[in-house]
Amino acid sequence: MRQIFYLIQKEFRQIFRDKSMIGILFIIPLIQIFILGNAVTTDVKNIKLVVQDQDKTPYSRELLRQFIHSGYFKINGIEEDYNKLSSYLDSGKANLVIVIPKHFQRDIVLGNKPDIQLLVDGVDGNSSGVSLGYVNDIMQNYQERLIEHLPELSLQIKNMHRVEAEPRFWFNPNLESKPYIVPGIIALILLVITLFLTSMGVVREKEIGTLEQLMVTPIKSYQLVTGKIIPFCILGLLEIMIGMGFVYLIFGIGIKGSFFLILFESLIFVLSTLGLGIFISTISDTQQQALFMAWFFMIFSILLSGFFIPIANMPPVIQQITRLNPLRYFIVILREIYLKGTSLKDLIPETLSMITFSACLFFAAVIRFKKKLG
Amino acid sequence: METDIAVKASKLSRHFGTFTAVDEISFEVKKGEIFGFLGANGAGKTTAIKMLCGLIKPTSGEAYVAGYNINTDSSMVKKHIGYMSQKFSLYEDLTVKENIEFYGGIYGLSRKEIFEKTKKLLSELHLEKMRDSLTKALPLGWKQRLALSTALLHDPSIIFLDEPTGGVDPISRKNFWRIIYEIANQGKTVFVTTHYMDEAEYCNRLSVMFKGKIIEIGTPTELKNKYNKPSIQDVFIELVTRN
Ligand SMILES: Nc1ncnc2c1ncn2[C@@H]1O[C@H](COP(=O)(O)OP(=O)(O)O)[C@@H](O)[C@H]1O
Ligand SMILES: [Mg+2]
Repeated sequence: MRQIFYLIQKEFRQIFRDKSMIGILFIIPLIQIFILGNAVTTDVKNIKLVVQDQDKTPYSRELLRQFIHSGYFKINGIEEDYNKLSSYLDSGKANLVIVIPKHFQRDIVLGNKPDIQLLVDGVDGNSSGVSLGYVNDIMQNYQERLIEHLPELSLQIKNMHRVEAEPRFWFNPNLESKPYIVPGIIALILLVITLFLTSMGVVREKEIGTLEQLMVTPIKSYQLVTGKIIPFCILGLLEIMIGMGFVYLIFGIGIKGSFFLILFESLIFVLSTLGLGIFISTISDTQQQALFMAWFFMIFSILLSGFFIPIANMPPVIQQITRLNPLRYFIVILREIYLKGTSLKDLIPETLSMITFSACLFFAAVIRFKKKLG
Repeated sequence: METDIAVKASKLSRHFGTFTAVDEISFEVKKGEIFGFLGANGAGKTTAIKMLCGLIKPTSGEAYVAGYNINTDSSMVKKHIGYMSQKFSLYEDLTVKENIEFYGGIYGLSRKEIFEKTKKLLSELHLEKMRDSLTKALPLGWKQRLALSTALLHDPSIIFLDEPTGGVDPISRKNFWRIIYEIANQGKTVFVTTHYMDEAEYCNRLSVMFKGKIIEIGTPTELKNKYNKPSIQDVFIELVTRN
């Protein structure tokens, strides 16, 4: 036990002696959160809109104004010729075409049901669904405004045609992508820091010869491994706490669920990245090799985690492979805790899968490390 | 008579693929002796020493170090030996004191022992002023003395020194050998490799390695008499040209 203490003490001394390391530890999460949080977005913005206003009344103009002000749409043209409308969709100049019919204002005032025609480019089904959602919202707002200004109309408007499908997004009401992306970024921070630090940390000692010096001491290899991973484990947890702090400061996104549950799940996840780091150190002789291998494994686990590419969109074989990836479960778990405040009880399947694969990876790596040291 | 043998190797070999780095070497080292391995670069000295320290496994043959079999009992071997590798391998980004503390801790010394040892070592090495400097700031000669001291922290009965004076100026080398003599006077066995001929003269007994084999073994005087040469350097040249 005492040996492990001295190993940990030494590791922390080395880490905090290196001034650039302190910078890295704080700057990596900041950059990742800032760049990824802003760049990786599934929000649909700048929807190209072409309009045809056959009514040209204050009411119809007010409706168009609402579209422009929503911030989601970019008016790409006003077309008077009805027959030309579909060509805008074909050429990609428009994602959405709105036709406000003649007598729009008159029909509203009279309590008839004016039909607005929407032409949607359905190639990107996801985006078109989202843009229809926006349209729905805008129409709703418009109707509410009408009632506000012309209370005598309220009866007629109640009779107006309403969009039937009314999807409700609960935990992320504006379908914003940031709350969805951010827990994933926290997971990535943990992955990157622990994977790189562990693999490089062990290989560096190999390179400078101190590992050999340690191997002539009576120290046991399990002590060596423990002494190596505990500091990186602590650092990883520290790192995600910094990360969660940044997320709150930059995006105002806080944790709905239990902070300690996040730490607990992180601890399980980190077993897999530390294991991978140790494995990499057994197959690399230089820090460059270790860096390359860590990079390689990192890309793989991110691509197969569902972070960038939804797992449902992957070929079935690949989907099965993702089941072996602890990051896949960890991202889901973090999202659940972050956005919904889900408790451990409801996360048991994911947690168990993650424990299984993390533990397998970890012990396989440690056994290999032991063998390698002879 | 087994008891006064510190190291005993019989037909110890190590192959790397098809290449034989150490080829069936056999020798005995007595307790308290300064035993030298003389050989050119690539002769197999480091490989031999690493096998004796339990860092790499022999391909064949066996050896006893401090009475323990290196193949089956390497953890007991490790308790009784000190090792200073050819490459300086203390942590350059730790201070002198932190390095001593770390290796003391790894060898299982108590906090009090570490404290006392640190004080004693620093004064012996005249390093009190450098106590809190980073190890990388030390001149090479001092680094090597520090490495030697840390290898002795746990009071081993045998110490393996692999080219301990490589790259060091002659005065520092002289000083270093003075320390080696002190260690031997305390009854410890010193196993040292070198490719400096003058250093070979300082050893009690010497084995000359060439291409993985021990081609001659004896005291420096015996060797010089046998080949009728004035210095070990001349003996070595004679041996190498013969082989
Ligand atoms: N791990 C290794 N793999 C392959 N060859 C090695 C390895 N270690 C040493 N050798 C080779 O074994 C020979 C002896 O090396 P070494 O024991 O370091 O010699 P010395 O210490 O006498 O200079 C050299 O030719 C070296 O290239
Ligand atoms: Mg050597």
